Amino acid sequence: MELFAQLLVNGLGNGSYYALLGLGFGLIFGTTRIVHFAYGPVFAFSAFAVWMAGKFLGLPLWIAVLFGPAAASVGGAAVYWLAYRPFEQRGMSSHSVLILSLGLTIVLESALTLGFGPSIHTFPDFAAPIFILGPVFVTGLQLAETVTLLVLAVALTRFLQHTRYGKGILALGDDRDMARIVGIDTDRISLVVFALGSAISAVAGVFTLLNEGATPTMGFYPVFVAFVVAVVGGLGSIPGAIAGGYMVGLVESLGLWQIPTEWQNSIAFVLLFVVLMLRPQGLFVGMKR
Amino acid sequence: MDLVLHVGVMICLYAILATSFNLLIGFSGLFAFGHATFYALGAYTTAILTQRLHLPFPIPLLASMLLTGGVGLAIALPSLRISGIYLIITTLALQVIAIDIIINWTSLTGGPSGLSGIPPLSIGGYVLSGPAHFLPVAFAAAVICFLVARHIGNAPFGRALRAMRENESAAASVGKNIFYMKVSVFGLAAALASVAGSLFAHYLSYVGADSFQVSETVLILSMVVVGGTGNLIGSVVGAAFLVLLPEVLAFVDLPQGFEGQLRLLIYGCVLILFLVFRPEGLLREPRRGGRRVAAGATPIALSTKTAFVGPLLTGTGLQKRFGGIVAIAALDISLSAGRITGLVGPNGAGKTTAFNLLTGFLRTDAGEIRYKGKVLSELKPHELVRAGIARSFQDLRLFTGMSVLENVLVALPRQSGDRLSALFLRPGSVRREDEANTAKAMGILEFIGLGERAMDLADDLSYAEEKLLVVARLIATEAEVLLFDEPLSGLDGAAMQKIIDLLRRLAADGKAVCIIEHNLDAIRNACDHLVYLDEGRALAQGDPNTLMADPELVQRYFR
Repeated sequence: MELFAQLLVNGLGNGSYYALLGLGFGLIFGTTRIVHFAYGPVFAFSAFAVWMAGKFLGLPLWIAVLFGPAAASVGGAAVYWLAYRPFEQRGMSSHSVLILSLGLTIVLESALTLGFGPSIHTFPDFAAPIFILGPVFVTGLQLAETVTLLVLAVALTRFLQHTRYGKGILALGDDRDMARIVGIDTDRISLVVFALGSAISAVAGVFTLLNEGATPTMGFYPVFVAFVVAVVGGLGSIPGAIAGGYMVGLVESLGLWQIPTEWQNSIAFVLLFVVLMLRPQGLFVGMKR
Repeated sequence: MDLVLHVGVMICLYAILATSFNLLIGFSGLFAFGHATFYALGAYTTAILTQRLHLPFPIPLLASMLLTGGVGLAIALPSLRISGIYLIITTLALQVIAIDIIINWTSLTGGPSGLSGIPPLSIGGYVLSGPAHFLPVAFAAAVICFLVARHIGNAPFGRALRAMRENESAAASVGKNIFYMKVSVFGLAAALASVAGSLFAHYLSYVGADSFQVSETVLILSMVVVGGTGNLIGSVVGAAFLVLLPEVLAFVDLPQGFEGQLRLLIYGCVLILFLVFRPEGLLREPRRGGRRVAAGATPIALSTKTAFVGPLLTGTGLQKRFGGIVAIAALDISLSAGRITGLVGPNGAGKTTAFNLLTGFLRTDAGEIRYKGKVLSELKPHELVRAGIARSFQDLRLFTGMSVLENVLVALPRQSGDRLSALFLRPGSVRREDEANTAKAMGILEFIGLGERAMDLADDLSYAEEKLLVVARLIATEAEVLLFDEPLSGLDGAAMQKIIDLLRRLAADGKAVCIIEHNLDAIRNACDHLVYLDEGRALAQGDPNTLMADPELVQRYFR
């Protein structure tokens, strides 16, 4: 029972983390319909930006973490503007854009490996506080993940509903052609979406850095999980992404109750497979933001 | 010298992988990104069978092909339900799961450390170790796999695959069995890829999970894209190009342990450069269509075989709802031979839904469809086409990336070359049959007035010519009941009259023709019988002139 309670807590912590990933990826994918595999290296890049800020500039953690979202939004926006946008303007198929995205992922990951080396980089002198609540341990990072998720979800919801850009994003996600016809600058909105979605992913990237350290390929698995979460939850739905994140987190964590640890990664992929086969439109389709 | 031979072996192995992958993505349009999984399965099966069970050649190779082919059949199943980017993601996920299984099933696969000490290939007592001995074998295997792929690609089966790539529902509407095609092309591509895996295991005498990661699939994908999708020679060229490139660039001095990364970086850059500057690849997809046949070689025989008495196709009490919306409430319709029936009514009346029900594209919620007296309600579209009921689409759905001739050729019925078994067991008779079919297709094009454009891409036709090609494709199915969804819309007077004349000719030859149409002049001119559909039911039926004079219908529709 204590094991179960601990797995439940871990599952909720991971769920918050996955929901963050799904929120960022879902915003990009749901609005632009681009399968942005290069979300992975951008995510890794943000973690390295924070690591460098701590290591070379000697900045304290609370300032260094700001470098993550900043680096990611610049990186994500650059990928959109320099790679995806020209492709879309030439009318290339979604397959071509996806292959481009895979190619970019390989190039950027290799570049990061050549630049930083394949070893694990950890933030200097950081150790997360651990709290003991009755029978279970909760880490400070798990709490921080959950709090940031809630703050970001509320902020994003308000942004989408109450600002001009937010409404543009909703319109674009709903019907791209119609959005263009009514005079929305779809390129600029997409750019904002890439910057914003990447910045949200960077929050998760910083948590990975603090949890287990950064590696150039650290983004490979999160892209898939983000895709699972976004699709499981239903594209473009914020409550859906949160529900999807907790679902993946809990299934993965509670699965460890019965399944050996080394299969943990496969669980999310099996879940993705099952969901796509049974309900490709997602579990929460039709849910309004 | 050994390095040169080694590079030669690797080119052969990747040529096998790239050509088989091209069958999936280039020919069939099935973007299933797990090709390295098939490669891995072939390698591990061979490794385990030769190392543990000491089975002699060719048993491990054949076992690899059988097992991998079987897994390929299973992986085809997702492609039946989902398509596009969702298929890509799902198959990538399957590949990650496969790698996890390889790494975690240590007792069978050696886990992270892999399997080493695999015996070299030994054929008839000759031990083929080292690149010099292995290269001839690898080359022979690559040639055989290439010829198999080319045989399939050029055959009616390959043509049907490309039709499916261009438009799946249109391929079904000309009688192609989508299920059979997807499952068999997956099985075949997987079995071919496993040949490369099997050779790889013998050649390196080591297999490990690292050789079969997602990046490997991306590498094979790059070879196909660089070479040109839909061009098999291109895949061989692409494989050679991408294997050679890092070797040529080997003079770049890099710290130990980074060669792998650099290689990936090069592959990624080449892939992106090609996507940007030459998305069609080094070699374009060849223009196919069989040898051009002398014009008017075979006059076509349109007249139908049986003299069936009574309406050919009847639908009684048909009903269809989508959620809470009733699209078809209760429709009775009957189509007789020798008559052009017009299906008219306002937008949203349920006309196209009626077509979808009659041709199996939608399942009826209630009611019965009879063809020549037999109940057909449970049949799939391609089975209904073969039975004798074919339809066209309002949005044409031509196979735009194929030649005009091929658009007609692919629609001809009873092609034995659509089946892989016949393709390999009776290649001669398949070829003769296809030559006869090409002449027949040419005859149809001459009849329709598109003979001059036979070898042009369907994409390059004018709108009026596209509409003609739709008619030609439907005639080619040799169905007796022909349902045309707005064959006349958007045409000028002359072009419209040309199609109306064609429809009249078809009816005169004993076909039951049904058209959806809005243009009142065209209806008066073309139709023998009218069915007025509104709110999902046939409100009136009868002679066009009588119906069009009915004050209530005039009020509702014929203003």
